[in-house]
Amino acid sequence: MVKQFQKEFRKRDLVYSIALWFLSLIIPDPQLHYRREYHFRKRDLFYFLTLLLLPLIWSDAHFHHLMVLSGIHGILALGLTLFLGYAGQISLGHAAFFGIGAYTTAILTTRYGVPSFFAFWASALIASFFAWLIGRPLLKLKGYFLALATLGFGEIFLVLVRESPTLTGGVIGIFDIPFFSLAGFVFDTYLKQYYLIWGVLSGLVLFSKNLIRSKMGRAFLAVAASEDGASVIGIDVARIKLGVFVIGAAFAGLAGSLFASVMSTANPETFSLNLSVLIVMMVILGGMGNLYGPIAGAIFLTFLINGLSRYQEYSLPIYGVILILLLIFFPDGIGTRLRVRLIYLISYLGRKKRREKVEL
Amino acid sequence: MDLWQTIPQLLISGITFGAIYALVGLGFVTIARASQIINFAQGEFVMLGGMTTFFFLRGVHLPYPLAALFAILIVILIGFLLHLLVIYPLRKASLPILLMATLGAALFLSSTSALLFGTLPKALPPFSGSGLFEIGKVSIHAQSLFVMGATFLVLLFLYFLSQRTLLGKAMEASSTDPLGADLSGISRNLMIFLAFGVSAGIGSIAGIFITPIFYVSYHSGTLIGLKGFIAAVLGGWGKHSGAILGGFALGVVESLSVAFIPSGYKDAIAFIVLLLILYIRPKGILGSPFIDSRRW
Repeated sequence: MVKQFQKEFRKRDLVYSIALWFLSLIIPDPQLHYRREYHFRKRDLFYFLTLLLLPLIWSDAHFHHLMVLSGIHGILALGLTLFLGYAGQISLGHAAFFGIGAYTTAILTTRYGVPSFFAFWASALIASFFAWLIGRPLLKLKGYFLALATLGFGEIFLVLVRESPTLTGGVIGIFDIPFFSLAGFVFDTYLKQYYLIWGVLSGLVLFSKNLIRSKMGRAFLAVAASEDGASVIGIDVARIKLGVFVIGAAFAGLAGSLFASVMSTANPETFSLNLSVLIVMMVILGGMGNLYGPIAGAIFLTFLINGLSRYQEYSLPIYGVILILLLIFFPDGIGTRLRVRLIYLISYLGRKKRREKVEL
Repeated sequence: MDLWQTIPQLLISGITFGAIYALVGLGFVTIARASQIINFAQGEFVMLGGMTTFFFLRGVHLPYPLAALFAILIVILIGFLLHLLVIYPLRKASLPILLMATLGAALFLSSTSALLFGTLPKALPPFSGSGLFEIGKVSIHAQSLFVMGATFLVLLFLYFLSQRTLLGKAMEASSTDPLGADLSGISRNLMIFLAFGVSAGIGSIAGIFITPIFYVSYHSGTLIGLKGFIAAVLGGWGKHSGAILGGFALGVVESLSVAFIPSGYKDAIAFIVLLLILYIRPKGILGSPFIDSRRW
């Protein structure tokens, strides 16, 4: 096929190949997990520089704020994509771990004066501890029933938060959580918070990249493909599922901690079912079995919701319709096979012109 | 003891709640028996049933029975549309996508009804006067009896539909053995389409019967839908009798819990019951035809 391409080389193919080269820089490779080892590629440099320079080029406080939110959603979606996209389990209670992380940070920093750096790690620990506690009975389930059971966990968490005002401040929540600070450096503007959150997110992406190439990461894929098959080749399915659940919860705990220290409040309304649904949507729209996709999905959905909020009371119906349409037309995610689809489109356009010439 | 005197009263209100959960659970079971799909927008049918009846009664000034009839027809139409516009295009999609699509539809329905009918909670007048009558020290709302009667009639209807008609058999066949249904000339898509209509009708009936007792507002559908689903799982997923039993059990447990723990925790009880039943006996109390006991 390559030979044929070279044989029939035309000048305008240069234009197409330049376009394709640009695409290969930007668009992630959906079959990332088949690569054997990780090399620092040009694409990663491109991402890194974009992240570094974007808030400086587009220096607008509202944009920075949205990017901070997208980063937090990105961390959540990254944790869930390990669970949903790689290990093939479904969870509608991820917002509860986010809430546990946020409340841990809120309580530790406001009541006990713990430095936010330590509260940050404590949030991850406590969220993953709760995940470990409930994961063992919960992960026996599959499919719809797992979704419903995790949803039930999320609802129970909300009720507990609302009904214990001495600990969590009840419906009102906790205010005046100090900004994240590290060795005297306080992250108090949106620009600083942007670098903090996307820095954490980059670290977590690297961690996940290594994780899915490890023995455990391969086991996720095996469990997703077939639990019976995985247990036949000697994978402890229950342990792997619990492990990925705990890791996802730890990510959510970190995101919650960052959310609490960036927004300075923790309020039960934030951690409702809507957030869980939103995270699952991010993972689905980003493409399952892909690490960059959920982050792109997080950015996309955060900006979509912000864009829709202009329409006030019409925003929720429009949002629902857009979600359904996206699910119908891009069931594998917007980014998945995007490169293949674009290559097909470009080559189709090229072929079409030639076909017309031949017919003339 | 003050506590022991309240228990019969709580039992009565629990049975009323239970009848509602049973009705909603029957809606879930109807769809599950035809297609193995779980429709998370089921609670919205309940909400829409109450809302549209209120609209016809107060906005258009129709007589009560006519308003209720129109409301049921409209909600059935919405159920058909839900299948045509959301479920049918996604018939080959994987589970999380279908789940998200029905949740998206639920979001759309509830927010649209907030837009059309306003966000204030609404209550319908009771069917027969303001009937509160007392037996001993227990006062019973007359509407509760209507709810029980409706549950019984719907159960009877579903029983005859699934056991005595060819259509019901065909619906069940398309879920239990898709290939066999295809080979015997049953259009599975048509069966799922009809099941959505029946389920929406049941949901709207539940909505009309409960709105005189409880307020209905645009976001009340989600919780009722979830509790109906929990009732169906508790009794035995995929069985009409299971949904009824689960509904009454859930209603009574939830209502009695108010006597022992603070009432704020009431909403958590249903989910705790769900986690317990899924952990101890995922098949449900009566067992389920759809859940293989070995792999759960």
